[in-house]
Amino acid sequence: MDSDDMHDANDVESLDDDFYSGETEDAPMDDYSDDYDDDNNNNNNNDADDDYFDDGADDSAQSRSTEINFAILKESDIRDRQEDDISSVATVLSIPPVAASILLRHYNWNVSNVNDAWFADEDRVRRKVGLLEKPVYENPDAKELTCGICFEAYRPSKIHNASCGHPYCFSCWGGYIGTSINDGPGCLMLRCPDPACGAAVDQDMINLLASAEDKQKYDRYLIRSYIEDNKKTKWCPAPGCEHAVNFDAGGENYDVSCLCSYSFCWNCTEEAHRPVDCGTVSKWILKNSAESENMNWILANSKPCPKCKRPIEKNQGCMHMTCTPPCKFEFCWLCLGAWSDHGERTGGFYACNRYEAAKQEGVYDETEKRREMAKNSLERYTHYYERWASNQSSRQKALADLHQMQTVHMEKLSDTQCQPESQLKFITEAWLQIVECRRVLKWTYAYGYYLAEHEHAKKQFFEYLQGEAESGLERLHQCAEKELQVFLSAEGPSKEFNDFRTKLAGLTSVTKNFFENLVRALENGLCDVDSNGAATSKATSSKNAAGSSKGKSGRGKGTKATVSSRLTDDNEWSCEQCTYANVGSATACAMCNQERQ
Amino acid sequence: MTSSSTSSRKNLSKIASNRLQKELVEWQINPPAGFNYKVSDNLQRWVIEVIGAPGTLYANETYKLQVDFPEHYPMEAPQVIFMNPAPMHPHIYSNGHICLDILYDSWSPAMTVSSVCISILSMLSSSPAKQRPEDNDRYVKNCRNGRSPKETRWWFHDDKV
Repeated sequence: MDSDDMHDANDVESLDDDFYSGETEDAPMDDYSDDYDDDNNNNNNNDADDDYFDDGADDSAQSRSTEINFAILKESDIRDRQEDDISSVATVLSIPPVAASILLRHYNWNVSNVNDAWFADEDRVRRKVGLLEKPVYENPDAKELTCGICFEAYRPSKIHNASCGHPYCFSCWGGYIGTSINDGPGCLMLRCPDPACGAAVDQDMINLLASAEDKQKYDRYLIRSYIEDNKKTKWCPAPGCEHAVNFDAGGENYDVSCLCSYSFCWNCTEEAHRPVDCGTVSKWILKNSAESENMNWILANSKPCPKCKRPIEKNQGCMHMTCTPPCKFEFCWLCLGAWSDHGERTGGFYACNRYEAAKQEGVYDETEKRREMAKNSLERYTHYYERWASNQSSRQKALADLHQMQTVHMEKLSDTQCQPESQLKFITEAWLQIVECRRVLKWTYAYGYYLAEHEHAKKQFFEYLQGEAESGLERLHQCAEKELQVFLSAEGPSKEFNDFRTKLAGLTSVTKNFFENLVRALENGLCDVDSNGAATSKATSSKNAAGSSKGKSGRGKGTKATVSSRLTDDNEWSCEQCTYANVGSATACAMCNQERQ
Repeated sequence: MTSSSTSSRKNLSKIASNRLQKELVEWQINPPAGFNYKVSDNLQRWVIEVIGAPGTLYANETYKLQVDFPEHYPMEAPQVIFMNPAPMHPHIYSNGHICLDILYDSWSPAMTVSSVCISILSMLSSSPAKQRPEDNDRYVKNCRNGRSPKETRWWFHDDKV
């Protein structure tokens, strides 16, 4: 089953290669293996250029990781967009903007839905949202009108009404509108107070009749409605952030990063979690918070008191247990029988003959096994959780360091090294990359936890990639943290600074590429044997590639193409027997020892 | 207790007492059929007798409604409950609370005591059977300590009765 899948994936992959590269004569692999042998800078760069189209096309076909399909909206942008939508509807339907605004609210700010509904059946829409064409209530042509709420008589100039004509005095309108606004966003759909009348109360009336404070609240609700009711927009979930995100569907990539620097998943609004999918993330978060693990722990490490059934953990000492007050029951930890039946004849304090005998008869086996399994599963979970959490805290630390760098060190460094701050950008970029990599690495642990236990090949490959990623990132982190220290404490400019720049920028670029490939490989469910071990390890460690101008200056597609080719151009081979992707230098499969064909 | 029940104990605002006086005058000139206002000095709490409409399950039966007005009546709804014993009705709990949307979410300041009374009588008259709501016991238990029905989150699922 699994091996079939992997074969299929390989087939597709190689077809793609042929198709895009246009090289039908030469098998690309042979080409690449030569390059691999005389591994040098120029050759790599040439390769990259040759393969530019090849990989570019491949990228857009299989992953849209760098495509920007979202826009961050500041409050002013939100207002602009809202006004644009309102005036477009108002123009198309020839209605006042306040009426267009009411319509849009009812149709969740979807302009085309408004237009469709309106032109399908204008009368029905008007009735539904309360936009009456003429009053349903004719005020008698009198000198005095009675307010329908306070029942006082007023001169017509003190009376106001919605499109329906029902008369209420200014003060009652104010109270009515104020009560509604303080009840919450329902005020955006406010209707005439007459129970039998559905006429809408529009924003012009709010502005005329409500207090300044209420008007402000109403305005807030209106903005919120534009973001929250619209399917294409959401607020940035970061605490204190007031930006919104407009997301255009299409593409598989839901990661969105806000101007506030918080990255989150559009789909589930948890923090960005590529390469792991939303379902896994919610399972993992639930698992981290759920009582289930506590339960497992209790199951694995405790036994219920035979009398009061409270769970008891035995952390040391002999088998003679005494439950805590008020129970105080004394029992044997092994057989859970009353201690009064125990003593010398049952083996003393550290053994229990009854237990041993019962175990031999198989009486205790089931519970023991259950306890054992729970313990194993807990240990496994703990393993992944600890690493997930430690990458999380490393990331927080890196964020703090980045901040420190930007606010304190950059200026100083610019002084001592006599370099403009714009020339020191590579340091911030390195730190931003570290932060991003910590995030990815963190989620690979959730990925690993849910990776099917029986797919040994995948698991081993995954752990290999993860290990490489971890060490590559450590190298970058080390360089950005420790090696920079020398220059931070230096008195004046040093010659080595340019070397340092080359090294750090190189490591940043290489790590970036490695992680991008890692993300892609994991998202493809590791069926993509392209990013194999040898290739990736070469990418992280190859210093010359890092130092090349290509690696630094090329951003986006260009850079990616360079590295994709580097990662795919090796003479990796898939084992005939088990399909495991082996490094080029291996003569036998690392998984099953089958010799290379 | 929560704000709504404390505010209902606050004295009536000027607007509220003006309006209630007008409502009372109107009631005395033109009382809704089937209701008797029990005269008292307390403008903030009205007690109204309801006489079951002829030809319905409640014909010739008399019940009492207690209507309490909040400080900001009529912007806020009055609290309307049946006094003990409450009529047997699928939307009336044994503690007198009434499940009727216009008393809560659908209240509008353009409604009056008189219009509320008519709605309640119409609700009584259309009852198919003298029985308590299905969740009566659970609800009444949760309402101990004199909780106001206005603090309940009502779910108006049935508009037939």
